[in-house]
This record gives sequence, structure tokens and C-alpha cells, in this order.
Amino acid sequence: MKVTIFDYGAGNIHSLAKALAAFEATVEVETDPTRAIETDVLVLPGVGAFGLAAERLAAGRLAMQAALRDGLPCLGICLGMQLLFDVSDESTPNARGLEIFSGTVTRLRAQRVPQIGWNAIDAADDELFVRAPLSYAYYANSYVCRPVDDAVVRAWSTHEDDRFAAVVRAGRTVGVQFHPEKSSGPGLRFLHAFLDDVTS
Amino acid sequence: MVTRRLIVCLDVKGGRVVKGVQFESLRDVGDPVELARRYEADGADEVVYLDISASFEERSTLLDLARRTAERLFIPLTIGGGIRSANDVARALRAGADKVGVNTAAVESPEILTECAVRFGSQCVVASIDAKRHGESWLVYTRGGRTPTSLDAVTWARECVRRGAGELLVTSIDRDGARTGYDLELTATIANAVDVPVVASGGAGSPSDVCDALVRGRADAALVAGILHEGVTTVQHIKTEMAHNGIPVRAA
Repeated sequence: MKVTIFDYGAGNIHSLAKALAAFEATVEVETDPTRAIETDVLVLPGVGAFGLAAERLAAGRLAMQAALRDGLPCLGICLGMQLLFDVSDESTPNARGLEIFSGTVTRLRAQRVPQIGWNAIDAADDELFVRAPLSYAYYANSYVCRPVDDAVVRAWSTHEDDRFAAVVRAGRTVGVQFHPEKSSGPGLRFLHAFLDDVTS
Repeated sequence: MVTRRLIVCLDVKGGRVVKGVQFESLRDVGDPVELARRYEADGADEVVYLDISASFEERSTLLDLARRTAERLFIPLTIGGGIRSANDVARALRAGADKVGVNTAAVESPEILTECAVRFGSQCVVASIDAKRHGESWLVYTRGGRTPTSLDAVTWARECVRRGAGELLVTSIDRDGARTGYDLELTATIANAVDVPVVASGGAGSPSDVCDALVRGRADAALVAGILHEGVTTVQHIKTEMAHNGIPVRAA
């Protein structure tokens, strides 16, 4: 199985690559969005800013969107989850996301922003959590996704009074606002459950 | 609800742990990677490497260490010490750090905080503030706590956040290594003055000191080093004590 991390050029992807490789996957890192979709599983990592990432994505955005709609398994982590939505308040409206999920990305409605730390996962309702229960996960984010339709939300977290989508899913596309690769053993098991689920 | 964090700090020099660490079960107690993994297994929420290398030659091993660590540690890693520019931050993040602490460079050119926040996001920009009490307030020191500045620590903390820092690591120079408890007034005053997470550092002597920092000191996280490395207490013991005091913690 080939897993490709689409690299927007910012931040640490070593932990993610190693966590994926532990599942006997061949992990490749690809900076070209068009080549990134020539894979069995696509991973959009969680570091950087929406505008810059959307810029890197732009040339291959429609091709990637079509691939995901055709069923290419995809996991978006943190910023990567946000890229699965339409637009983000973090950047201008002409920075387009992949539009797999309808909705926008907005700043956390809380006093303490960014949210940095381990937050509880609640109302988890997905096959993935049956395979890999997850009570707490590590977050480091200022922005969260606001889906138009709550039916796509498979788990929630709450920062101060703001309840936001922790996990969204549409078929084989999954977005997680937390960092499974930084959530110790339970996070790694969740990653592996995802790979197992979407490729079986 | 976001839980309060217990962060373990390792002082490294030339890619090795410098302070004595008492883990007899480890093959190589000088290897930061082995130690960091041990603390992850014990339930630590994060690990910090503070690079105290004096020379460029010693420092050049840090990025390799970050890379080796990121490949085997699956909790967040912060790297601080010797960061001089936004490009240094970029290299540390690229090598495997999740967050980077900036201290002296931020005091000398505060725009580095903004540049990093724009390029990498404020969630990975940690302003590291070393403060020493002077009468009724605290002054900021740089260069590993050796050089006094004229900056008031609380004013400087606000400035760091305004410029883009996503987290503050506040070390009391007076308490560092003394094991008489954190400077709760310093931590609480800064935590009340800013809207980003504050990490209390310097002075931990016991699990109850950690609880004090998180409750009376209003810190979001507490940094602990010596008392863990020397076996005075354990991560599990501290987290149990935190839970007993009604502090939200992540069960290991």
C-alpha cells in the first residue's frame, strides 16, 4: 500500500511519516498536488497556514477534488482537515479549499486561542472509534471547521464554550482537527484504524 | 475541555542529555530520544529540549537529534535555545520540532515572532521569557538568564502575544533549580495579562508544587525537569496528584 503525504512545505512531517510507515505502508512525500493523487491513500498534513497551503494546492486542486470524489481514500489532519472545506477566515476567499465538505473555517470562539493541548473527544460515532477508542487527542489550532451539515461530524470537542467538529467523514475522506501522530499510542492506533478501514 | 499539561524538559548539549538522569533501566541515559520515549510511556504530555550548547559545532547536532526524536516520539516536541532567526525556526520545524521557543532573539528583534507566526502559524511559536524579581515587578533576562534587560516581564509578555507568539514559557530565574515551588505570582500575573497558554517553569520541588502552579498560578501547563530526572517523583505520581486536586488531566 502506498500512502502519500502532500507536503505544503511547512513544518514537521517526520512523526506522521513514521506513524504511517509503522503500518507496513510505503510512505512518500510529494510536493506536486497532481502527482500526490497517484497513490492508494492521500494524507493532507496539519502544519502551516491555510492561504499558503491553498496556494501550493491551487494547480492540482480540481484534480485532487475529482480523485477524492471518485473514492481515493484521504485523511486530512488539522490544517489538512480545513483544506477539505470551502474557504477559511484565515486567508482571503480566493484561497479555495477542496470543497469535499460544505462549510467554512473560522477562528475558535474562545478567550484562549490558540488551543494548545489535549482535549476530550466526545460523542464519537464512527466505525474508526470502535477499532481505536480515543478519549483525548492533542490539538494545536486557532481555527476550526464549521460544516453546513452536522451529519458529517463523527466526533466533537469543546474549547471553553465553543463546540467544534473533531472528526468529519464522507465515505473514504476523513478529516480530524487533532493530531493523531502527536496523540501517543491511542492516536497511532486511530491512524492505523483509518488505513485499515479505507483500504479493506 | 483542554486538560492541563505536564511537560518534561531535557537539557541537551552536543545532542546529549547533560544533567544526571537516573533511569537504570535505560541502556543509554545520555540519549535524549530514549529518555523522551520513556517519559512519553510514563504519561508526559509534551517534551521540551533546551539546547544549552555553547558552540556552533555542538549546536549543529540539534537538528539531527530533532529528526531522530520526531521519528520515535509521538507526543509534541518543543525545541528551544540558540534560535537566532525565523530561518532557524524553519529548520527546527522541518527537522521535527512541533513548536520552537524563541528567547534572546525575540528581545533583540521582536519582529521575528510575527514573521514566524505568519510563516508557520502562531501555534508553533513559543515566546520563552526568563524573569527575575526586582521589587514589586519582574525584569526580563536574556542569554540564558545572564543578561538583564530593561523590559518589564508582564509588559513584554503582552508584547510577545501581540506580535504573534501562541504560547509563553515563563521561567522564574529566582526559583530555577531551587525546588521551593514555582513563582506563582509571576505566573498568575502573566496568565491574567494574556489570552494564550502560559507554561510555568522553574522551581518544581514536588507534585504539589505542580498543582499550585496550575491552580493558584493559573498556568495551563507546568514544566518539570530535575525532580523527574533524579527520581524524586514520577510523571504518573504528579498526574495522580493533579487529578486528586480536581485538575483536568489526560489519563496516560
